[in-house]
Amino acid sequence: MATEVRTQTAGNMWKVLVKPGDTVAEGQVLFIMEVMKMEVAHEAPVAGVVSAVHVAEGAEGLDAEDLVVEIG
Amino acid sequence: MIEVIKPGLETAVQDWPGRIGFWNQGFPPSGPMDSWSFRLGNVLVGNAPGAAGLECQYLGPTLRFVDAAVIALTGADMGAKLDGVAVPLWESVAVAAGQVLALGPAKSGTRGYIAIAGGIATEPWLGSRSTFHQAGVGGIGGSALKVGHEIPIGPGNGTAGRRVKPEARPVFSTDKRWSVEVCAGPNDDWIDAAGQQRFLSADWKLSSKSNRTGFRLEGPDWTFAEKAYDKPPEHGSLPSNIIDHGYPLGAINLAGQTPIILVNDGPSMGGFINPYTVPQAAFWKLGQSRPGDIYNFRQVSVERAQAMAREMKALCTQASIL
Repeated sequence: MATEVRTQTAGNMWKVLVKPGDTVAEGQVLFIMEVMKMEVAHEAPVAGVVSAVHVAEGAEGLDAEDLVVEIG
Repeated sequence: MIEVIKPGLETAVQDWPGRIGFWNQGFPPSGPMDSWSFRLGNVLVGNAPGAAGLECQYLGPTLRFVDAAVIALTGADMGAKLDGVAVPLWESVAVAAGQVLALGPAKSGTRGYIAIAGGIATEPWLGSRSTFHQAGVGGIGGSALKVGHEIPIGPGNGTAGRRVKPEARPVFSTDKRWSVEVCAGPNDDWIDAAGQQRFLSADWKLSSKSNRTGFRLEGPDWTFAEKAYDKPPEHGSLPSNIIDHGYPLGAINLAGQTPIILVNDGPSMGGFINPYTVPQAAFWKLGQSRPGDIYNFRQVSVERAQAMAREMKALCTQASIL
C-alpha cells in the first residue's frame, strides 16, 4: 500500500525534489510549497521508493490535501 | 489560559481595528485581514467586536485549554476538532478545562478566527494587542504563536449555542474568482485611459509571494499618462516612480509593472504611485483568497466604500446572532 504525501496548505508548488524511482529516507524533504512568501517543506513520513509524483514544479493554485507524492 | 501545542503556519493575536493612530510614524494597523468574520466571532462569545483573538492562516494551530472557556470559530473552515469531535463554525461552543482544539488546513477560505470569551489579555502596545511581527511588537513577544506559548484570557461571560444568522456571514468564492471593490486614486491620473480600462477589465492573479504586508498581483502590463514621463528627475526614472509620499492602506502600489496591494501590515510611505485603493470593507475578500485566485476589480465611489464599511459594522452586532 503506497504512502500518500499531500499538501498541508493551499499555495503554489515551489520545488519538487524527487521523481519516480528515487529512494527516499524518512524525514527527507520531498517538495516545498510557497505561501505568504514562506517555504513550507513537506517531508517523507516513511522511507521507500517514490512510485508517483502528481504535481509539477511551478504548479499554482493548489488546495490543501492535494495528492503530490506516493511512496510505494 | 491557553497553551500552544502546535502553532500552525503563522497564527497570531490580532484585535480590531488594530494599532490605529501611528501610521504617520510607520506603524500599520495590523489586525485581522477578514475583520468581518473576526468581529462576528467576538460578538458570538459576548465580547466587544474588536476584542483580541487569534488569526489562523492557511494551517491552523493545536491549542490546549488550561481553563474552561467559551469560544467561536469563524472565517475559513479549518476542520476544527475538540478532543477529536468536529466543532461547528459560526457558533459559540463551550470548552472544558483540559480539552484540546486542533485545526488543520483551510478547506474553504484561507484565514480562520478563534474568538474566546473574555478576549486575549496580552499586554497592549501602542494601544493594541495586534501582532506586527516585522517590528516584533504586539501579540505574544511580538511574534506569531510558537510551541509552548501561554495565551492569557480575560474574564469572560460567554454563552454556548449562539449562531450567526446565515445571511450575516461572508460568502467565500468557490470558483477561485473574486470581485473586489476599488476606489480610484490617489494616482489614477498617472495611468492613461487605456491603462485604466485594462486594470478594471483584466484578470489579476494572486501570487504566492503575498502576505500580510502586500498582496502581489500578476496581470497585463500598465500604460501611463504623459505626466508619468514628463516629471522632474527627483521623481525617479520609471513611470511608476514618484517623489516619496504617504500611502493609503489598501493602496494598489505599482512597483515598475507589478501591482502590490498594501494590506494590514503594509508600509506607510514610499516612492511608487498608487493608482487605485481597495477599501477596508473589501479586505475580507483578500484575506480569504489564496495564491492562484483571480481578482476582478470593480470601481466604486469613496461614498460607497464608506457605506460598505458602515454596513459591515452593522452586521457585526447582536442583531446578527440567533
